[in-house]
Amino acid sequence: MEIIQIVGIGLMSTVLILVLKEQKPMFAFLLAAATGILIFLFLIGKIGGVISTLQRLAESSGMETVYLKTVFKIIGIAYIAEFGAQIVRDAGQESIASKIELAGKVLIMTLAVPIIGIIIETVMKLLPA
Amino acid sequence: MSWLGGWLREIILIVLLATFVELLLPSKSMERYARLVLSLLILLTLLSPIVSLLKGNAASELGLAFRRSDGGTSGHTGTVDAELQKILADGRKLAAGGRDQSLKLAAQQIAGQMKEQIAAETGKRGANVNVTLALTNEADGASVPAITQVVVTLPGEASAAQGNAPGGSGSGESTPIMVQPVEDIKVEPGGGETGLKEQGVSGGGDAPAAAGTDQGSGTGGADAKAVTALLEKNWSLDPGKIQVVDGGADKW
Repeated sequence: MEIIQIVGIGLMSTVLILVLKEQKPMFAFLLAAATGILIFLFLIGKIGGVISTLQRLAESSGMETVYLKTVFKIIGIAYIAEFGAQIVRDAGQESIASKIELAGKVLIMTLAVPIIGIIIETVMKLLPA
Repeated sequence: MSWLGGWLREIILIVLLATFVELLLPSKSMERYARLVLSLLILLTLLSPIVSLLKGNAASELGLAFRRSDGGTSGHTGTVDAELQKILADGRKLAAGGRDQSLKLAAQQIAGQMKEQIAAETGKRGANVNVTLALTNEADGASVPAITQVVVTLPGEASAAQGNAPGGSGSGESTPIMVQPVEDIKVEPGGGETGLKEQGVSGGGDAPAAAGTDQGSGTGGADAKAVTALLEKNWSLDPGKIQVVDGGADKW
């Protein structure tokens, strides 16, 4: 029952943060970041399990690994950018958080560029010169 | 028809994966962008037979394009540089190994030539020549192989005498010399030990050795000098690099 542990950690840290915020806002921020990282580390094993299962399924069905890699990259970039942006937002730096999100979006878009390139090249070859 | 089955399977899997990933995405703000890439991937999978027809395998093309775009970004140039350095280091190692082997081969050939010259000039057959080559750096930065040491082991007097007496070639010299001490052991049975011993001493083993040592100081030294002079002249070597060892004196 990991969810109980995770919720417990979350509730405890929220109470502590509320108490600390009045006295030392800096430590409250550090505690929030540490709680986030702790929950993320808690889940990393589960994420690894899901990814390896998907990989095995894709390999057994003969799907090309490059497609799978691209999909995993999208999830990874989205999660990491979101995680970082939320921590920064908690510290009250909304503008930096939006920049982190922008970076995540741009990095996801760069994954699209090679695919767009191949599709456009194919279409150009299909069209009569 | 098998390619059609594979193609359909691939499309179904990609669509399923895209739906799953869309559910997994953390926030709505990223969703649009992720959806764009996923839809492009589905489009590429749908077009993969045409891409294969026109350009080759779609997946390998995509992998190549990703690698190319990764190489262009600054974050990956470090790893590319590291790989390049590793390849260059491997190349240098291989080149050094090849250079060592070529030096060894050249040293063997030079030793063979020296051996022939010694045999022709001094008449000493069966001399053992050991040449050591090393690369020396020239002023212009190029490295040139040079002889650093020559060790000549001259055949012993006894072996030379044995070799010359039957008039045999150089290759047949060593075996009769080895047989000679075995004949000495036959002296064991017999009553007059002193006489036999004297006979053995005078007839067999020590006589050539004594002759060898006697002559070694005389003719052996002269031979060594002749060989040194010959190599010095023919190969323009520094006399300090030439070392002549009288093998006969060591053996007996």
